[in-house]
Amino acid sequence: MINIPPKPKASYLAKIGLPFAFMFSIFSFNMIDFNFSDFQNNLQNRKIVTEPLFNPKWQWAWDNTSSALLETIQIAILASIIGCAIALPLSFYASRATNLNKFSYFLYKSFLNLVRTIPDLFWAMMFTVAVGIGPFAGVLALVMFSLAIMGKLLSETIDSIDPGPMEAAKATGASHNQTVFTSALPQVLPNFTAYFLYIFELCIRASVILGLVGAGGVGRIIETQRIFLRFDRISPIIVIILAVVILIEQFSVWIRKRIL
Amino acid sequence: MNLPKQPLNQKIFKYSITSLIILASLWSAAGLEITLDRIIDAPKQIGILVGAMFPLDLSQEAFSRIIPKVFESLFIAWAGTVIGSFFSFPISFLAANNFTKGIVSKATKQILNIIRAFPELILAFIFLPITGLGPLTGTLAIGIHSIGTLGKLSSEVIEGIDEGPLEAIKSSGGSKINELTFGIIPQVMPTITSYWLYRFEINLRASAVLGVVGAGGVGQELINQLRFRDFPRAGTVLVCTIVLVLTADAVSAAIRNRIIKGKLVKS
Repeated sequence: MINIPPKPKASYLAKIGLPFAFMFSIFSFNMIDFNFSDFQNNLQNRKIVTEPLFNPKWQWAWDNTSSALLETIQIAILASIIGCAIALPLSFYASRATNLNKFSYFLYKSFLNLVRTIPDLFWAMMFTVAVGIGPFAGVLALVMFSLAIMGKLLSETIDSIDPGPMEAAKATGASHNQTVFTSALPQVLPNFTAYFLYIFELCIRASVILGLVGAGGVGRIIETQRIFLRFDRISPIIVIILAVVILIEQFSVWIRKRIL
Repeated sequence: MNLPKQPLNQKIFKYSITSLIILASLWSAAGLEITLDRIIDAPKQIGILVGAMFPLDLSQEAFSRIIPKVFESLFIAWAGTVIGSFFSFPISFLAANNFTKGIVSKATKQILNIIRAFPELILAFIFLPITGLGPLTGTLAIGIHSIGTLGKLSSEVIEGIDEGPLEAIKSSGGSKINELTFGIIPQVMPTITSYWLYRFEINLRASAVLGVVGAGGVGQELINQLRFRDFPRAGTVLVCTIVLVLTADAVSAAIRNRIIKGKLVKS
C-alpha cells in the first residue's frame, strides 16, 4: 500500500471566489435579457444583413474610401507620434526609479491611470464637442489613448532598469537629471521604440472606429452607410480596412525585428 | 581627453529616423488640415468643456438613469468574457502546435487571426439588425472578439509548457487524455485564468463604448447627454464609468496577482 500525500486544501479564495464567479455569470446572463423567442424572431431578419454582406459592391468602395482611409492612417501617425513624445518625459516622472519625490511620483502615476480608464471613443466624443467634428478631434483622442498606454508600459520598464549604471553616474558626481539622461534613458530607448511601433498598430486599429462618433477617418463612411443598412457597401470597406491594417502591422513587426 | 567617435552609419541612421518622424508628422498634419492656431486653441476649448461639466449633476434622477447603465456595461463585459473563455479554451488546444498536428494548428490559428481582426464595434453593428438593440448584441460582439484574443494568448501558453510532466505521464502508460488532464491543464490553468481576468478588464472598457451604436451599456448615455449639451450629466456619466473601471481593475489585478504569485507564506 502506498501512502499518497493528501491533496492540498482549496484556498479561501477558490472556495468563495469560484461559486461567486459562477453565480455572477448566471446573473449577468440574466441581466443582458437574453430572450430566446425574440432572438428567433429576429433571426428571420438575418437576410437584411447576410444577403448584402456577402454581395459586396467593390466598385463603390474603391471609389469612395481611399481618401478617408488615408485620413485614418494620418490620424494614427500623428497621434502616436505626439502621444509617445509626451509620454516619454512623463513616464520618467511616473517611475519610482527616476522620480525620488514620492508625492509627485504619485501625482503623475495617478494622472496616467486616470487617462487610461477612459476608453478611446469617450475621449473622441468629448473632443468632438470641444474642438468640433473632424479629424482633429480624432487625433486628440488617440493622443490621450497612446499617451496612457505608453506611460504605463514605459514607466514600468523604467521601474525595472538595471540600477548599476545609475549608481556609476552618481558616483562620478552627476546631478540627478544628468544621471537620468546618461544612464536611465539609454537603457529604455530600445523598449521605447518597440512600444512606439506597437502603439502605432493599436492606433491604426482604433482610428478606424473613431469616425462612428464624428472624429474623422474611414469610420465616418462606415457610419453613414450603417445608418442606411447598406451592408453591401460596408462589407468591402471592412475587407479593405482589414487588409490595410494587416499590411501595416506586418510592416511594423518587420521593423521591430530589425531594430531589436 | 580623447573620446571615441560614434560610428558614422549609426549617426546617419539616427538622423534619417528623426527626419522621417518629423516628415511623417508634418505630412499627416498637413493632410488633416491641422494648423498651429488650432493646436494652441485646443486646450482652451477642452478647458471650457471640462468647466461646463462641473458641478456634476448629482440629482436622484440622474443617478437612477446612469447607475443601471453602468452596471449593464459590467454585466456585458462579464458575460462576454465568459463566452470568450468558454469557447476559446478548447480552441486554444487545437491551435497549440505541440498538442495538435501542424496543419490543424495552423488552420485554427488563421481562423483566430481573422476573428481577432474585427473590432468589437464593427461586430456589434453587423449583429444589430439580427439580435436587436440592447445588451445581447454587445455581449455577442465582445464574446466573439474575446474568443479570438483569448484563443491566441491561451494557445501560446500551452505551447510554452514544460514537457517533463508529459514525458512522465507517457512513460507510466498514461493516455493522451491523461496527458491533457494531469500534464497540461494543471500547468497552464493559472496563467490562462489570469488572462481571462485581464481580458475582462479590457472588455469592460470596450463594453462602455459599445453603446455608441446602441448595443447597450453606458456609452449610449454619454453620447446622448453630449448631444443634448447636458454637460453636468455627461460629467456624472464619465465619473461613474471611471469609478467602475478603476474598481474592477483593482479587484481583478489583486486576484490575478494572487493566482500567479500564490499565497504569501509567512515564515
